[in-house]
Amino acid sequence: MSKTKTKTEKKNDNPMVKIYIMGSAHEVPASLTIMKAMEYAGFKITRGAGCRAGFCGACATVYRKAGDFRIYAALACQTQVEDGMVLTQLPFVPAPKGKYDVSKLSPTANTVLKYYPEVARCLSCNACSKVCPQEIHVMDYIQYSLQGQIDKAAEESFDCVQCGLCTIRCPAEIPQYHVATLVRRLHGKYNMTSPETLEARVEEIESGFYDEGLKKLMEASKDELRQKYYHERDFIDQKKA
Amino acid sequence: MVQYSYFPGCNLKTNAKGFEETAKAVSKILEAELIEMPNWNCCGTVHTMTSDNMMRRIAPVRVLSRSKKHIETLPEGTLNQVVTLCSMCNSTLKIVNREVRMDPDKLEKINYQLEADDEIYEKDMEVKHFLEIIRDEISYEKLSKSVTNPLEGLKISPYYGCMLLHPDEAAIDDVEMPSVLENLVESLGAVVIDSPLFKFCCGSYHIVDEDSIVDTQVEKIVEAARSRGANALVVACPLCAYNIDHQQKIMKDKTQTKDPLPVFYFTQLMALALGVPMKTNHFEDHHINPKPLLKELGLSGGKKSK
Repeated sequence: MSKTKTKTEKKNDNPMVKIYIMGSAHEVPASLTIMKAMEYAGFKITRGAGCRAGFCGACATVYRKAGDFRIYAALACQTQVEDGMVLTQLPFVPAPKGKYDVSKLSPTANTVLKYYPEVARCLSCNACSKVCPQEIHVMDYIQYSLQGQIDKAAEESFDCVQCGLCTIRCPAEIPQYHVATLVRRLHGKYNMTSPETLEARVEEIESGFYDEGLKKLMEASKDELRQKYYHERDFIDQKKA
Repeated sequence: MVQYSYFPGCNLKTNAKGFEETAKAVSKILEAELIEMPNWNCCGTVHTMTSDNMMRRIAPVRVLSRSKKHIETLPEGTLNQVVTLCSMCNSTLKIVNREVRMDPDKLEKINYQLEADDEIYEKDMEVKHFLEIIRDEISYEKLSKSVTNPLEGLKISPYYGCMLLHPDEAAIDDVEMPSVLENLVESLGAVVIDSPLFKFCCGSYHIVDEDSIVDTQVEKIVEAARSRGANALVVACPLCAYNIDHQQKIMKDKTQTKDPLPVFYFTQLMALALGVPMKTNHFEDHHINPKPLLKELGLSGGKKSK
């Protein structure tokens, strides 16, 4: 990974590239990500940015490269600019979203088809998988959900960040990322067993076991808290452990 | 033990679980084991008649190419064949396989879409229905030798539907005088009841929007078999099975007139005769419960003799 620290001091050593943001040319340092390059160029991003660390999926971007006919897609916060890039942000992808009460469903293909009948239109073209910045096999999980293999669909779609790029590329107009949410909810609700330790802990909390301790903490002064936080807490020494 | 790359198709995982599970079980007993492809997509049904619509042909070609990759993980000597159970999948895959093998331009266009996924199809696969494997590779002789519980008392009318025999490029048997289901039923010790309506349309997708059409068809198909003495039907297509099974139930509830005939997948009959555990059949998914008939004939003891 390249570092951007040197920007102020050694600005002249930093090679610049020319990129086209929504058609207009900008000179930006070659080391920047697309998101930082847009800000460098003077754009104030009010939509289409979130965690800036590749987790939230808010900054979907589509671009083309110089001399390349293909269309590419990526998360703007995770992708470095290249000379001749033509790009735009896709801050939002409209997609129909099923309304359901997950406790009243069953983990079957018919449930998926009831809320997202478009799934049956899948052509198996795999355009969705090709565009996915998380490298998920999107088409495979759509097919698994159509086959009623909800467990496999949930696992395959687990890393989805809901950027919506699959949905905007799909020739069958399937809202893949909403289907992914549905199958994971079905899987969690009906196929997976609830961990015993979690249930035991919830019971403990509900029985009031921690109430007194929590009350003490809430009433503690800033100095007391500082003492507890920095000096009394058990730190596990990772090197020794 | 020979192994085959097996393509299930969507119905085998939803409405026809008994079909798939019995097929897998009997394939193992007959030493021609069906191994499911790890990641498969829709077969591309219904096959498009528009000859220049390549988008609709990507799915079947991808199945062929993924099956080839699957075969590379199976023991050496595994044939380049993808085996299907659903006659609809069988038909779609066979037709498209032949089209792209005969028309390099078509294949090139489709492969261009598969290239980036490293799933180019090299025209080196055959599509086989499990019935063809039974007839041509396993042999009826071996099948009848493996029978532990002969299906005595079952009088079965084979119903082919349209997809096993039409069109030419997908047909697995003679279009007017098919014998594959008949020979199979006889190998299992049951009696074959010939019906002139063995490929009379079941009503197909009209079940979705106009099920009265299906009712008319099903009534004729069932009556033709019943009047000739059959006490059950055997099929190879999940859609035929659903239409005949489900609509008989609807008609029975409506009219209270006739005794419906249970519908078996051919692999369920094999499972019964080969002593596979009863629960593998998933008879609970059937609308006309076959269990009373089996009990009456003393065929319910799935695994007692071995």
